[in-house]
Amino acid sequence: MEEVLEQASLARRAHWLVKLRWLAIAFLVGAVFVARRIFNIHLHEQALYILAGVILVYNAMLYVALRRTDRHTTEQMGTTLNRILFLQSSADLFFLTAILYFSGGIENPFSFYFMFHMIISSTLLSRVQSYMQATMAVVLFGLLLLLDYQGVITHYPLRGFAPEGLHTDGRFVLGYWFVFTTTVYLVVYLATSIVAQLRKQQARYRNANEQLQQKDLIKNEYVLRVTHDIKSHLAAIKSCLDVVGAGMLGPLNEKQAEFVERANHRAEKCMKFISSLLRLTRMRMTGHFDRTCFPFKNLLYDSFAAIEDRAVSKNITATYEIDPVIDQVCGSEVLLEDTLTNLLSNAVKYTPNGGTVTLRAKDQKHEVLVEISDTGIGIPPEEIGDVFNEFYRASNARETVRDGTGLGLSMAKEVVERHGGRIWIESSPDGTTFFLTIPKDSAVS
Amino acid sequence: MQEAKILIIDDDPDISEAMTVVLESKNYQVSIARNSREGMDRIQDDKPDLIILDVMMDTPQEGFTMGRQLQENPETKDIPVLMVTAVKEKTGLDFKAEAGDDTWLPVDDFIDKPVKPQVLLEKVAKLLSKSK
Repeated sequence: MEEVLEQASLARRAHWLVKLRWLAIAFLVGAVFVARRIFNIHLHEQALYILAGVILVYNAMLYVALRRTDRHTTEQMGTTLNRILFLQSSADLFFLTAILYFSGGIENPFSFYFMFHMIISSTLLSRVQSYMQATMAVVLFGLLLLLDYQGVITHYPLRGFAPEGLHTDGRFVLGYWFVFTTTVYLVVYLATSIVAQLRKQQARYRNANEQLQQKDLIKNEYVLRVTHDIKSHLAAIKSCLDVVGAGMLGPLNEKQAEFVERANHRAEKCMKFISSLLRLTRMRMTGHFDRTCFPFKNLLYDSFAAIEDRAVSKNITATYEIDPVIDQVCGSEVLLEDTLTNLLSNAVKYTPNGGTVTLRAKDQKHEVLVEISDTGIGIPPEEIGDVFNEFYRASNARETVRDGTGLGLSMAKEVVERHGGRIWIESSPDGTTFFLTIPKDSAVS
Repeated sequence: MQEAKILIIDDDPDISEAMTVVLESKNYQVSIARNSREGMDRIQDDKPDLIILDVMMDTPQEGFTMGRQLQENPETKDIPVLMVTAVKEKTGLDFKAEAGDDTWLPVDDFIDKPVKPQVLLEKVAKLLSKSK
């Protein structure tokens, strides 16, 4: 995993270098033109244009070579890329030296540009390779100065820019080279140190992130196992209670029946809680659900019907406004219906007698917007951000309804987001509205 | 008419005995096996009219394996199998991946644990009447 990432970023940087080089070529041509034609500086124009041409060809070849390595994702690709990068930098040093040679040598302040190469090498290559590049720069530039000084090679002065004879002034040449050398090594030292720090930090972050994911997985597996175990015990408890409660082991008196019923009721509650937790955890772990396309309108009616009786018994006015054009939606019918029923029954649960609960659904081109409003107790503003968290229950919700799992909303969020939709809340002390969008053709995420 | 013979294959003694009580209330003849091997022996000794099969026993999918074996064996393929599971179909084990298609199940019907006495009796009666 890490190997591939490193390779990918190496390849990206190699491409970036090629791009920079196109710019450098343009800059070289431009600079020569401006220096010669506008500032009337005397330089060996022809040689420099030819050099630009050579670099152009070389860069084009590199471009093709890189394109080819892109298609291979083998293990050697990393080393191949590294080799290409090293050769590129070396060639660049050589070209820069050649350019300086044809344009005054020591007289040309563009020798500063060696530093760019040093920084680039330090970020792309290993520490040792970077120092090798530094040494190469020092030797190449040193050779240029030395041969120029000794008159072994032709000197192309920058007449009209620098005083003549600098290259034959031994002390100046030596001093210049000394400063050049120390600067080059210092730049490489500083740049590689910074890069090493950054890489270390990056590795640390990546590590921490992997560990977090690992821990989350372990947690989920743990929850799955524990809940599963609890569930099978509960199933046994309920099976036994059902037999007794149904009078199959002999008739019960009223008090006995009541207490068996109470035990049964609690076991049922616990079972529901465990089932929700199992479902949520499993969905988090696998992200899997069965996906079909179905008429969403019917689902809305069904969810509404599921809570209507409860609303009536609390004297709550439950109404719906469902856009008749709402048609097919693709996703998990079961999970979406559970989610809507759950939100609606929450609305009923937390709305005092005589209140209203409204289900609205609007067709919005690519998605359906569902709103579930109540005139209930509302969610305290400072707790709105928390109610989607597992096991969280708003303080006033806990006061109103004693038992609740605190899983319903976190499940709703999970389901909606798995469908590529959004869920949010607007709430005041006069009531709460849940908004959710369900894309009509949700890509399974 | 002799009442139907039902074999429960489930490793949870509490659940299988609770189901026994429920079934015996309708005078079915119930016997219990604790795993699929014991179940197979029981079937060979005395062929039941219906098998109630748990999914997870010694291995998580033992019930599936056994259901398939029963179906492939000409001697047993006519015995209706009611599968009992603590894992719901829609959210639990991937029945589809297990089966290879949408509808295929190596059993005739299945119910969730905990099994409600009424539901159990209804399903059993339905399966028995179908196989007659």
